[in-house]
Amino acid sequence: MKTFLWRRIIQFIPLIFGVSLLSFFVMHLAPGDPTSLFTNPNIDPRELARIRANWGLDQPIYLQYFYWLGNLLRGNLGTSYTTGQPVLQEILARLPATLMLMIPAYILTLLITIPLGVICAVKKDSWFDNLITIFSFAGMATPSFWLGLVLMLIFAVQLHWLPAVGISEISATNQSMLARGIDFLRHLILPLSTMVLLSLAGITRYQRAAMLEVLNQDYIRTARAKGLPERMVIYKHALKNALIPIVTIIGLSLPDLFGGAFIIETIFAWPGMGRLGVMAIFQRNYPLIMGIVVFSALLIMLGNLLADLAYAWVDPRIRYAKK
Amino acid sequence: MYKNAVVIFLFLLVCLTGCAGSGSLSAKPIKLPDPAQADLNGSLILSLGGEVSIINPILLTDTSSSAIEGTIFTGLTTINEKLEVVPDLAKSWDVSADGKIWTFHLRSDVKWHDGQPFTADDVVFTFNSILNPKVNSVRRSDFIIDGEPIKFRALDNLTVQAFLPRPFAPFLTHTGMSLIPKHLLEGKDINTAEFNRRPVGTGPFKFKEWVTGDHVIVVRNDNYYLGKPKLAQIIFKIIPDENSMLVALEAGEVDSAGVPPKDYRRLKAKEGLNVFEYDALTYTYLAFNLANPKFQDKRVRQALAYATNKEQLVKLIFKGLASPAYAPSVPISWAYSDAVEKYPYNPEKARQLLKEAGTENLSFTILTNQGNKEREKAAVILQQQFEKVGIEVNVRVMEWSALLKIINAPKGPKDFDAVLMGWSLGLDPDAYSIWHSSQYPVGFNFIDYRNTAVDRLLARGRTTLNQAERKKIYAKLWQIIAADQPYLFLWYPKSIEAIRERVGGLSRPGPAGLMLHLEKIFVTK
Amino acid sequence: MLKNKPHPLTSNRPPSPSSMERGMNSDTSRKKGVRLLFPLLILGAFVCAAILAPVIAPYDSNAIVNIETIAPSTQHLFGTDDLGRDIFSRAVYGARISLTVGLVAVSLSLIIGILLGALAGYFGGWLDSSIMRFVDIMLSFPSIFLILAIQAMLTPNIYNVMLVIGLTSWMGVARLVRGEYLKIRELQYVEAAQAIGCSHWRIIFRHILPNAQAPIIVAATLGMAGAILTESSLSFLGMGVQPPTPSWGNMLMDAQAYMRDAPWLAIIPGILILITVLSFYLIGEGLRQALDPRKDYAGS
Repeated sequence: MKTFLWRRIIQFIPLIFGVSLLSFFVMHLAPGDPTSLFTNPNIDPRELARIRANWGLDQPIYLQYFYWLGNLLRGNLGTSYTTGQPVLQEILARLPATLMLMIPAYILTLLITIPLGVICAVKKDSWFDNLITIFSFAGMATPSFWLGLVLMLIFAVQLHWLPAVGISEISATNQSMLARGIDFLRHLILPLSTMVLLSLAGITRYQRAAMLEVLNQDYIRTARAKGLPERMVIYKHALKNALIPIVTIIGLSLPDLFGGAFIIETIFAWPGMGRLGVMAIFQRNYPLIMGIVVFSALLIMLGNLLADLAYAWVDPRIRYAKK
Repeated sequence: MYKNAVVIFLFLLVCLTGCAGSGSLSAKPIKLPDPAQADLNGSLILSLGGEVSIINPILLTDTSSSAIEGTIFTGLTTINEKLEVVPDLAKSWDVSADGKIWTFHLRSDVKWHDGQPFTADDVVFTFNSILNPKVNSVRRSDFIIDGEPIKFRALDNLTVQAFLPRPFAPFLTHTGMSLIPKHLLEGKDINTAEFNRRPVGTGPFKFKEWVTGDHVIVVRNDNYYLGKPKLAQIIFKIIPDENSMLVALEAGEVDSAGVPPKDYRRLKAKEGLNVFEYDALTYTYLAFNLANPKFQDKRVRQALAYATNKEQLVKLIFKGLASPAYAPSVPISWAYSDAVEKYPYNPEKARQLLKEAGTENLSFTILTNQGNKEREKAAVILQQQFEKVGIEVNVRVMEWSALLKIINAPKGPKDFDAVLMGWSLGLDPDAYSIWHSSQYPVGFNFIDYRNTAVDRLLARGRTTLNQAERKKIYAKLWQIIAADQPYLFLWYPKSIEAIRERVGGLSRPGPAGLMLHLEKIFVTK
Repeated sequence: MLKNKPHPLTSNRPPSPSSMERGMNSDTSRKKGVRLLFPLLILGAFVCAAILAPVIAPYDSNAIVNIETIAPSTQHLFGTDDLGRDIFSRAVYGARISLTVGLVAVSLSLIIGILLGALAGYFGGWLDSSIMRFVDIMLSFPSIFLILAIQAMLTPNIYNVMLVIGLTSWMGVARLVRGEYLKIRELQYVEAAQAIGCSHWRIIFRHILPNAQAPIIVAATLGMAGAILTESSLSFLGMGVQPPTPSWGNMLMDAQAYMRDAPWLAIIPGILILITVLSFYLIGEGLRQALDPRKDYAGS
């Protein structure tokens, strides 16, 4: 177990190296540079060249990479060009908002989709199964920017039930914890609903398929043959095993924890990581891009490792040795 | 199965059309609140379209940071509603007879937000920091004249002198630069200072809180030298998506937002909102690469001007909330003159000119930057209009950085046919950096425009201090440039801003904005 | 939402076939036929419209035919957009673009995915581990960052949109194909082929590939749906198909601003995307059920 863990963690090193190398060169090969943002007839382009040199961008690319790598080994992710603040600080400032949206979204999605998937599998081809199929596919096929705006127009502008944008009512900062908590939840509802509606299909279909497979296994037939009540068969025997693959799917969806919600973050003015990363790419803010990529890659790998461990834990058939 | 899908869609359709709203769309008169009802504990909530990056006047480059900086910091001078330079931290100034030495007399009643007195040393420190090559300030070129920096010296605590290498008319407009405190920044690396996240200034509002990516709060400075502001605080809320910003305005979550022309009529009729429209200091153009053989003949460029129906363009894109442009200056500038060739829409004449120039079957590509819907639309409309005179146009919309890479290429000839962009002009009409032949290939004369008469007028314009004389110089300049048509001038956009009726104390709508006197702005309960 | 793998939350996609193949089914063949027929008919109609666009579209897709934005009417079946262009014509030409983007992007991701997956699965060893490490690297990026970075490098135009979507969506296919090859290469007929001296190349592409085609075909249909959605996401960032060329994605994006005044601008491309994506998914599911070799022992 310990050696397995160490082996996996050591494997991170070449992966991180590969991730950073790839993103560094892709980004630097993209045309433009961070001073493009300043273009204005009142600014002498020679000044821009001076600022580029201050940032070390006049050096050959491979040297710039080694400087960056050297700093990384010393735990320094560099300084953002646009804010002059440490990259790590910029990332950590955005992380809580991202997690506060994504974790509830994951949990809610699972809470809805697992029962839905199970019911669909048990009542396969019923009108309910068909309705859920259509509904979840419709969610899947709806672009998030469109759904988000529609929800906002209905619930914020027409009905005035919920706030449209932001993570909290800013002028309400000196209220009690409870009031602030409720305020946060009110702001959370629309972006959360958008995310959940869009992702219902994925896990529902998956759970339905997994459940169907289990229901066709011999031991379920045996259980039925023994005369166990159907409810018992489904919830005690089948469901437990049908949940196993869900662990994998959670592991696989980790990368988008950090960037995937950028459209929802943009529309709902949610101060998360996705927006930060997309903006950094448009601004060619190299240190910030690299910081985000390395940071998220590391967390993604850790997440995958945890998923593997969890998988082995819930499914004793899988042994570490396999990896 | 499919029936269900249809039902769901009908449902969505009903929801949407419900949103489309009904009722009359007649414009509603501007309703301003009574100053007697001002709420002294009130907050104003403003929206910002982009992320805030750095709240330091000498380093910032984005409009969001700049909007916040303007509430916290002040400069030697400022501008009034007529765009004239007027005193601010400097009570008065005088200039030597040769136009090279400027002396500024400072107010004595000014304190930084941390209580330290503001002095001449702060002024000198600010300008020296800008001039320091290690400081990543893009403002540096404002204080360098033909390669020589302007020198600043404190005569005493309340007097500052600036020594210019030669007379330079635009200098005064650059003195509006906000000032930063010496006692907090001396000896520090300004580029990365903590100050840039927790600024201290001399302005009507003090910095309070910055939650990255979400909002910034500034609160009333009770000791502001022009009087105690009426607002308790201003909250700047970051809303990156334009559509969401309008939604937030209509839902009452922000007090103000920029309005795209298409929403003008609807919002103008909406209860609770005042919508103002005013001129901006910008123009949009189609620039022809003169180093490219396709556009070297003046007649070809003139033909394109005749082939352009600017009225249709403005009507389609802006629903009338912009005006056609004919010269590289803006109508609200004192140096504007419309005594230029206007090339009224005349496709017949365009065809004839093209024939004379021997350029039939002209085809070229218009580049423009993505993210600006008006420009994208203009490119499409121009494509259609040029097609009518037998010119084939391709449109390529590029990412901003990638587009600049092409037009900023360090060596000519640059690799493009025509670019659709806009310039935001400064307060001074000096356009040396755009039209002077020395500004190619490095510089903003990226089209390689060369005209010795223009070069001469540009040099005279910026060294002449008498405004009446300068007005004549620039009138002549615009006339020559319009005749050459190196750019096809397209339109002057209007800024449209919607503000909730609870906000009062606004200045007269103009390019300086609606909140020129921040200390007078108030909200009612 | 941009990769060929299942993301429960941010993805608009269903689980990839590799994860779904465990699903058993008991549909009768009649039902299966019906389920495949409808989406095939719809897609067939769309493809015909796309091919015959110049014949069907009453106007040029970029022509300004009316100075006002007008609602659907007999003259303009779907109305006109903010620039006064005929939406029906744009939708028809948009079908061309959107379907082509899907087709080319998916072909590219299949080519890369099959090639790398087959090499890794067939040869194993260091080749397998280095290819799979590369797959891991590609999967360690939040997908939107990868797409944007590559798109920035290439500058957005319609070919690059296809290229980028293809280049960033092959990893799922590679994993899937590798898995199939790992299984199949142990089968006796492969050993037999090796014994009679067939070249590796021949075994990989002539002997094994046909037997691995079922999950690949399913992946392709699902990938088509995904690529069309990805293009619309890219349009949101202005990095999709560039104007004035219409795609359903950029039509929908442009319509965002007119949701209050002209909702049909958003509804029409929205419905077209929905129907198309839904059809591809249904075909994918139908094919999976029809092609899954294990359907034979799917009881009940």
